[in-house]
Amino acid sequence: MLETAELHFNVDHGYLEGLVRGCKASLLTQQDYVNLVQCETLEDLKIHLQTTEYGNFLANETNPLTVSKIDTEMRKKLCREFDYFRNHSLEPLSTFFTYMTCSYMIDNVILLMNGALQKKSVKEVLAKCHPLGRFTEMEAVNIAETTSDLFKAVLVETPLAPFFQDCMSENTLDELNIELLRNKLYKSYLEAFYKFCKDHGDVTAEIMCPILEFEADRRALIITLNSFGTELSKEDRETLFPTCGKLYPEGLHLLAQAEDFEQMKRVADNYGVYKPLFEAVGGPGGKTLEDVFYEREVEMNVLAFNRQFHYGVFYAYVKLKEQEMRNIVWIAECISQRHRTKINSYIPIL
Amino acid sequence: MGSLFRSESMCLAQLFLQSGTAYECLSALGEKGLVQFRDLNQNVSSFQRKFVGEVKRCEELERILVYLVQEITRADIPLPEGEASPPAPPLKHVLEMQEQLQKLEVELREVTKNKEKLRKNLLELVEYTHMLRVTKTFVRRNVEFEPTYEEFPALENDSLLDYSCMQRLGAKLGFVSGLIQQGKVEAFERMLWRACKGYTIVTYAELDESLEDPETGEVIKWHVFLISFWGEQIGHKVKKICDCYHCHVYPYPNTAEERREIQEGLNTRIQDLYTEVTWCVPLKSCQSLAIPGVTAMGAGTQNAPPLEVRLVDKNFPCSAPQVLHKTEDYLRQVLCKAAESVCSRVVQVRKMKAIYHMLNMCSVDVTNKCLIAEVWCPEADLPGLRRALEEGSRESGATIPSFMNTIPTKETPPTLIRTNKFTEGFQNIVDAYGVGSYREVNPALFTIITFPFLFAVMFGDFGHGFVMFLFALFLVLNENHPRLSQSQEILRMFFNGRYILLLMGLFSVYTGLIYNDCFSKSVNLFGSGWNVSAMYSSSHSQEEQKRMVLWNDSTIRHSRTLQLDPNIPGVFRGPYPFGIDPIWNLATNRLTFLNSFKMKMSVILGVIHMTFGVTLGIFNHLHFRKKFNIYLVSVPEILFMLSIFGYLIFMIIYKWLAYSAETSREAPSILIEFINMFLFPSSETHGLYPGQAHVQRVLLALTVLAVPVLFLGKPLFLLWLHNGRSCFGVSRSGYTLVRKDSEEEVSLLGSQDIEEGSNRMEEGCREVTCEEFNFGEILMTQTIHSIEYCLGCISNTASYLRLWALSLAHAQLSDVLWAMLMRVGLRVDTTYGVLLLLPVMAFFAVLTIFILLVMEGLSAFLHAIRLHWVEFQNKFYVGAGTKFVPFSFSLLSSKFCNDDDIA
Repeated sequence: MLETAELHFNVDHGYLEGLVRGCKASLLTQQDYVNLVQCETLEDLKIHLQTTEYGNFLANETNPLTVSKIDTEMRKKLCREFDYFRNHSLEPLSTFFTYMTCSYMIDNVILLMNGALQKKSVKEVLAKCHPLGRFTEMEAVNIAETTSDLFKAVLVETPLAPFFQDCMSENTLDELNIELLRNKLYKSYLEAFYKFCKDHGDVTAEIMCPILEFEADRRALIITLNSFGTELSKEDRETLFPTCGKLYPEGLHLLAQAEDFEQMKRVADNYGVYKPLFEAVGGPGGKTLEDVFYEREVEMNVLAFNRQFHYGVFYAYVKLKEQEMRNIVWIAECISQRHRTKINSYIPIL
Repeated sequence: MGSLFRSESMCLAQLFLQSGTAYECLSALGEKGLVQFRDLNQNVSSFQRKFVGEVKRCEELERILVYLVQEITRADIPLPEGEASPPAPPLKHVLEMQEQLQKLEVELREVTKNKEKLRKNLLELVEYTHMLRVTKTFVRRNVEFEPTYEEFPALENDSLLDYSCMQRLGAKLGFVSGLIQQGKVEAFERMLWRACKGYTIVTYAELDESLEDPETGEVIKWHVFLISFWGEQIGHKVKKICDCYHCHVYPYPNTAEERREIQEGLNTRIQDLYTEVTWCVPLKSCQSLAIPGVTAMGAGTQNAPPLEVRLVDKNFPCSAPQVLHKTEDYLRQVLCKAAESVCSRVVQVRKMKAIYHMLNMCSVDVTNKCLIAEVWCPEADLPGLRRALEEGSRESGATIPSFMNTIPTKETPPTLIRTNKFTEGFQNIVDAYGVGSYREVNPALFTIITFPFLFAVMFGDFGHGFVMFLFALFLVLNENHPRLSQSQEILRMFFNGRYILLLMGLFSVYTGLIYNDCFSKSVNLFGSGWNVSAMYSSSHSQEEQKRMVLWNDSTIRHSRTLQLDPNIPGVFRGPYPFGIDPIWNLATNRLTFLNSFKMKMSVILGVIHMTFGVTLGIFNHLHFRKKFNIYLVSVPEILFMLSIFGYLIFMIIYKWLAYSAETSREAPSILIEFINMFLFPSSETHGLYPGQAHVQRVLLALTVLAVPVLFLGKPLFLLWLHNGRSCFGVSRSGYTLVRKDSEEEVSLLGSQDIEEGSNRMEEGCREVTCEEFNFGEILMTQTIHSIEYCLGCISNTASYLRLWALSLAHAQLSDVLWAMLMRVGLRVDTTYGVLLLLPVMAFFAVLTIFILLVMEGLSAFLHAIRLHWVEFQNKFYVGAGTKFVPFSFSLLSSKFCNDDDIA
């Protein structure tokens, strides 16, 4: 089975895999970051980015340059690349791509609903939405008042529909409920994606499953961390944890009982993978848990490129590119706010 | 030997550019394209360099120009092919140009914005009229057929057009109407159904005209829809859904009077709409439409009134429709004016940017008065360089001229080989293998002849060669035709190699004549040297008949093959004057004969080619002052090659000359003799000539002696040199010559003293690379080289047999093609034969071109390339140089259409 999959892989997906590997080679190098950090103004940043693979993507921007303009243009560039991949993909890779966009779609839906709750105009919120997670029905999200409404009226035809199974309720959508909805959607999404990769088998499963397991555990840990001191009950908390991670089931159970960071750390210490991560928190660079997780994610994504004939490279590339964009935005923010002391705490992509 | 034999000698020059004149000097240099700049600020990142501000300004200008070109092409104004290459703009004009362009951009943006707004308004109005027209029929239909209305008996009973009834229900009943893109209709309807749980009635009809989308400017099909609903809540939802699908919603007249009013207003205008120019009239209707109080028009229309006010402010005294006209005219005028200069502007800005990029590579003098650039320049071009600097200084009117200095260096200069359109293709073949090291023998010069020749040996057929020659001749004669020189991909490949093709065709004609092959047939030009009638018994006397085997009637009748015996007088009258005797084309043992000939020929050509390669190595050693290499490497190599394979050639030629038809039976086999040369058989064989054994022993001894010299000679000599005779005067690098020259130059130019700063910098740039003597490494390299050479001699000679194999394949393939097609076509009887012959000829021609010319030609081409790269060039060519890339404006891409692609 394994051999045949490898035999046929290039027939359908060889071109795209080659392409994505080429794209990966164009990620900014360590030297580029060193140069970016030295920039004095955003104009300098722009000039330096021109020497990299970004090219003159900012050439048609009128002055003055702002961080959000850079961010939007970078996102557009990524989106163009992704659309190209997607338009040239065959099944089951195209389904894989759809799964990849789902997380952005969830984020966008939640963003729009929050915007509607705060009575912001749809256009304003739309501008903030991630272009990868754009879909037509998105703008109608705010007509729904309850989750089941949302599902029945708006999202039933989108790829998000299957994830709604667990979170149908008649509660009105206030801020807490929206957050719960996001986490529940994410949980079902991750589980479905995990199942898809597992069922696909081959190298894809071998690469993607650990990445998704990590993603699930990260979400569980972050949810726990964020729920300290909120009104979220422990039972509710447990229902939000994605169950496809390494922490499942004992770790999640323990996490649900945790009451502060120390207890959480104790739970994580039981797992060889997460122990070193928690130990690195607050280390020399004053790293936050989030930074540590990002670093670990980058590491896993870079390693995904060491194997051939699998879909994980596409996922890894998009994630790496996202991290790169976050880095550039971080550096740009530091430059524009003259906050140079923290400029070096971007996440290096190895 | 001309410049093609070795690359140009280069020198490193320092340009002292006075800060005021640097720009003009570089502009002059760029026009001439004489020098290659070295980056002196390699460790400075791009945004910290000196002229980054100017580069930014150029980029800004480029951005504006891209915008202008975009607008001009959108307005379908032809871009005039301006002056081919205007010089870089003088510095004082740059600011002016920038201002001009910025003003133009602002103006253009404003006008376009106005125009877009007007057009959008117009479109919305057109849409509105369409909508009203279409929806008028909807209401009637709705009321007639929709069963939902049954709940309201009053409505049903009343006359269908009585809107006052509907008004009575007004609190509940609402309408939303508008236009939606065709593709979204279905999803829109489904969403409405799901969100409003069926409490809406949607009616829609396709609009028979396609309208422009105001946002994207695309012309697409639209649907007009009318949604009737009850209740405020649902109304909100419906509106949100409409927003979501980007529908263009227009207010739907609720009351009968309002409706009638608008309809009347529109109806009269609709008449105008179709009688007058479509663009202008709806705008008129817009003005009058604003009067009946249609305030809540679509989102876009709301800003119509202020816009008009602004336009009136701008002193446009005419009415609205003319406003649009005027705006468009004005826009066109502006664009036309811009189009005149935009071409040259693009080139100018590009040149300016290139100049600043080069200036960024220069370092700044300590006194900050001048810029110092380091350039590689061909020695022959130094006067040109000086002139260019003078020109630049003069142009800028500076008091202190910019000047240059040659400086000594140990670094390897880049390789420049000047080519013309004829030699370019051959140079490219060599460069594809590797750009030659500085000043080494350039194989391209010899490739000009050997490459087409070796190709032709494999492609020998003068019919095919002539066709190829004609094709190449056509390309060469039309080389100035724009369609050919700007052709794409495959044709371009042929076009670039047109001179190679020409020579290949010519040489193929020659070898084809030698092989006597023309589309696989032989041509009898001089009359065959063989005479068949001499074989008959009747033509000889009785005594002769007894001695010889002759033919008579019965032998001819009964035997399938007959053999001509050259020993019989009169049968063989001497060799054919040129090439192969055509009679061989009829012989059954033709292949045996040709194979023997072609095989031997291949070996002879190959050994000569390789020996020539080794000989060229001697020129390299002489030039680089490494005489010891001649004695310790080249001479043993030649001895090794000649005493084995040179002797083989000697044997081949000796056998050809020494044995005739009579003595051919006792001629020994060359193969056996050659093997015996190494095996010393106990039983003495007959041999080719007396004393053969001694000669062979001497040659073998030479071969064996050459091997240890080859292996150990150079390393031991270098070791000896290193240990005692280091002042021998032999320099290891080949660049001393240059250094000496440039040292002389420096002393000549002593009057202009080199400044302190530059000296300091030189040391930084050019640390002396002191080679460490490593005996083990040298020994290793030499051993590997020797093993490669000795084994290579054998395998490379065998490799040249491909000449035979490919020419055999070519001849056989063309023979098969003839036999399968033409012979069949020619065999059909005369009445129908003509009809059949035409398609057969056509088919034959097509197959000849595609299989024999293109396919076979390509394979012979590739094998010829291989023979040059591997068998010939590895005997002497290092190919580790870098190409000289001058700073030249002609290398900037001249097409500015590329910018459109990027934009």
